[in-house]
Amino acid sequence: MRRFEPAAQSGTVEALVDQDEARVLRSLAEQLAGLLGEAGEAESSTDTAVDRILPDAYRDDDEAQAEWRRLSRRALADRKSAFAQRVADDLEPAATNPGVHTVTLDAAGALDWVRAVADLRLVLADRMGIREDGDEPSDALDGGSDLYGWLAWMQDDLVRVLTLLEKPQ
Amino acid sequence: MYNMVAMPAVPLLEDETVERPLHASEVPWQTIVWNDPVNLMSYVAWVFRRYFGMGETEAEGAMMAVHTEGRAVVAQGNREAMERHVEAMHEYGLWATLEKAPR
Repeated sequence: MRRFEPAAQSGTVEALVDQDEARVLRSLAEQLAGLLGEAGEAESSTDTAVDRILPDAYRDDDEAQAEWRRLSRRALADRKSAFAQRVADDLEPAATNPGVHTVTLDAAGALDWVRAVADLRLVLADRMGIREDGDEPSDALDGGSDLYGWLAWMQDDLVRVLTLLEKPQ
Repeated sequence: MYNMVAMPAVPLLEDETVERPLHASEVPWQTIVWNDPVNLMSYVAWVFRRYFGMGETEAEGAMMAVHTEGRAVVAQGNREAMERHVEAMHEYGLWATLEKAPR
């Protein structure tokens, strides 16, 4: 991912990406979509990363929390899985062809991307033991720290471009 | 001797408030966003602008409250509305909960 830019056509975002980057991001997005798909099937999880991307809505009310899970968890997991799958699908042509590619995202697509990137960062952070402010990433994941930084840049740049698009022209 | 005319016909309730059970829909709830070490400050402020329609200053203030105080109340209203907000925050990867507003 070299950069995100607001496209000439109003409301769209262009992402410039080479094949290797597209492969990495597509793979991460597919893993996230899978993780969320499985999580949506279950009432609860033993995976702290899943707990972070599908958190409780009530802190001190077990009954309300159980009801929340019953009514909302599945649909929320499915929507989040779809955000991640969208990223993977958008990257498919770039990941399967050599060279640098422009991936054009419409407004809804850019919103899916920024939300999938947020979830990817949460999962990576959890896998690397980042739980509180000041925690340094562990080396539990090979190259995880670089990926985490790359996704941080992506989050910040997508916010920059989306903010530009939201400003009245 | 008391001036009977000037005396209030109805005893004034000063510290007492009239208690009646509130209907569930009248109890105010709050949406709270909690600090996390992962989401960038620029992202959190943008989510507040985009989803809640906050102005730049308000969004920055709420984001800084989350960051420095560990939590911020970002909305108040009935329970159903707060559940929708919490779910939306979860879609964005923000850690949000709802609870009854302190009375």
